[in-house]
Amino acid sequence: MRSRTIAFKLVVFTLSGTMAIFVSAFACVYFSSKASMMRYVEMNARNATHAAAYQIESVLRGIEKVPLNYAALLTSGDCKPAALAMLPEQMVSTNPEIFGAAIAFEPGASGPGSLYYAPYCYRGKNGGLKNVMLGNESYDYFTMDWYQIPEQLGRAAWTEPYYDEGGGNETMATFSVPFYKVLQGKNKFQGVVTADVALRGLKQIVSSTRLNKSGYSFLITRNGVFVTSPDSTLIMTNSIFSVAEEKHSALLRRIGRKMIAGGEGFAALPKGLLYPGKCWLYYTPLPSIGWSIGIVTPEGVMLADVLRFSRMVILIGLLGVCLMALIVMLIAKRISKPIKDLSATTLEIARGNLNATLPDIHRGDEIGALARSFEDMRVALKDYIENLTQTTAAKERIESELKIAGRIQMSFLPKAFPPLPGKTPVDIAARLEPARQIGGDLYDYFLLDDDHLFFTVGDVSDKGIPAALFMAVTKTLLKGIAEKGMSPSEILDKCNLELIGGNDSMMFVTLFCAILDLRSGRLRYSNAGHEHPFILRREGPLETLPIPEGFVLGVNEDAGYQTMEVELKPGDRLIVYTDGVTEAVNGAGEFYAHQNLISVLESCGSLCAEGIVSRILDSVKTFSSGVPQADDITLLAVSLTGPKL
Amino acid sequence: MDVSSHKQDKFFIVRVSGRLDATTSPEFEKSCLEWIGQGESMFIVDMKELEYMSSAGLRSILVVGKKIKSEGGTLAFTSLTPNVNHVFSISGFGSMFKVHDSLETALKNS
Repeated sequence: MRSRTIAFKLVVFTLSGTMAIFVSAFACVYFSSKASMMRYVEMNARNATHAAAYQIESVLRGIEKVPLNYAALLTSGDCKPAALAMLPEQMVSTNPEIFGAAIAFEPGASGPGSLYYAPYCYRGKNGGLKNVMLGNESYDYFTMDWYQIPEQLGRAAWTEPYYDEGGGNETMATFSVPFYKVLQGKNKFQGVVTADVALRGLKQIVSSTRLNKSGYSFLITRNGVFVTSPDSTLIMTNSIFSVAEEKHSALLRRIGRKMIAGGEGFAALPKGLLYPGKCWLYYTPLPSIGWSIGIVTPEGVMLADVLRFSRMVILIGLLGVCLMALIVMLIAKRISKPIKDLSATTLEIARGNLNATLPDIHRGDEIGALARSFEDMRVALKDYIENLTQTTAAKERIESELKIAGRIQMSFLPKAFPPLPGKTPVDIAARLEPARQIGGDLYDYFLLDDDHLFFTVGDVSDKGIPAALFMAVTKTLLKGIAEKGMSPSEILDKCNLELIGGNDSMMFVTLFCAILDLRSGRLRYSNAGHEHPFILRREGPLETLPIPEGFVLGVNEDAGYQTMEVELKPGDRLIVYTDGVTEAVNGAGEFYAHQNLISVLESCGSLCAEGIVSRILDSVKTFSSGVPQADDITLLAVSLTGPKL
Repeated sequence: MDVSSHKQDKFFIVRVSGRLDATTSPEFEKSCLEWIGQGESMFIVDMKELEYMSSAGLRSILVVGKKIKSEGGTLAFTSLTPNVNHVFSISGFGSMFKVHDSLETALKNS
């Protein structure tokens, strides 16, 4: 995956966090505002419904009062029917809410012989009042609801709405109040005083009652029949129950029952019942007439405010998020820019430019701290590298000096060819392989006179420069001390005393030295703490040369060196070595040891001095196979080739 | 190489094990010189577990021996392994220093 920048990550993390917070806050706001909007809508609907109900009620109460008053008047007084004929007109003309009014008498109650007597006044189409007498064969008002119901109930009552064919020719509801004549303490029904209310008037009140343009309101009677509704096909022909039946809605039926039972409520309706979409219905009763008024409000319209509000919130939120992204990006850039600069500079430092100037080291924040750390690191690195350069230079100087010292050391060892003057009957070979550039081993050989060869092999304690110096001193001393006529032990004694002087560091050297008489083959030798040499006779087994006791050179004044003798015949070879040979180590940590040396020597047969030295060295190198040499290796082989000519 | 020490009667026993060569002998030398500085003088060096000794090891023994001698103390060696014994006898150290077969004889005869 591609690595992203800090700015990108910061923007992503911040924005996803913000978005999550925003979405949850929005959801909270949306649902709570929706709930409060619903409460608000319900309250509005209730208020509007109550207002309409109150308005209708007051109209109806106003209408009711009129016939009630006249009925009371008629019951108490003894009015002449002839005088009564003007009463309906009086009722209608003084009460604008009343569409028509009548006083309808029982047969004979208005006077003997008359069956019908019912003066009626109503408002004509042109607005003028019309007076008619009701009652004939085609309009037998005794069978009408408005006449029968109050008679039967014995009290005032509203009729269901009806179309008054032959009367006012108008859809109306009538409030009828019975009036009586008191005969022998009993009320005798005399007729009814009626007041009509035209539904047109109520319709105006009801239809003006709605919460918004899309909503509407309706009125149903105590039987559930629609009195007013925007759908005129329902009016007077359908009831809320027939609509419920048609739509198979138990809910609407339940609501209808509650409505006609005088209940009040707020209910959600699914789409298609009273409105094409989802809607809410608030209903309340009109107690006087027993009807119920309902206000239908589409949910979409109700929630329009909430939706608008939500859209606004979302828009503000999105704008906020964009703005935030921009700000976070700027902040992130601001933060990451110094890091980028720092990174570029450190990269430059990493590539080796230790003089690169680090930016921002004066800042007080974490970047500044980081920059200062880098600055410290740069300075430390620079110092370190300068130091290292100097050290390396010094070390190289020392190395080269050591190399030169090593060359000098090697150069004052005698060379193999030409080892000795041409006619000397001696075959001699020697090799010194220092473990480091300079070593502490030594060998030397030279003629004391024509017939005497002096040779020596030594090993200075420890290694390195002190050992090399001590070796040089020893070798020089020996060269100076060894003279014709001296025995090897005398040479060692003298050399020992010379070395002891001022040897506080307790350096010492083990040394084997010998003088070979080239005429007789007599070998006289002495030893200062050195390893046993070997003699490889021309014939016979390998011999270990017995050596006299003698302490290492340079420590003890009373070392007491002794000289011993052995005879070498032509072809016999004496091999002297240092412990670098026997103490060579292989990969397993084992020593080369005497056993290996002995077996190599036993395999040498009649090899010459050089051959023996080479074979031993090869064997040691093969044995140690790559393990760094720990100690100087020195080998010297000498043999008498024959009596001097 | 490991060097340890303990006091037994009047003797100061130094136990040295492993290899005493150019790399390790300075440490041996330093430890011994410190003990001498602390006033120890009757040294017995137990070499039962010393596998190898180079000429550098011999030199450090010389340094320590010289210091002990100048302080008027004694130095003895015990339980030399064959390798070390060979080095001791060849170099003449065997005749210069007291060498015992075991710690017991060293304690008895010193």
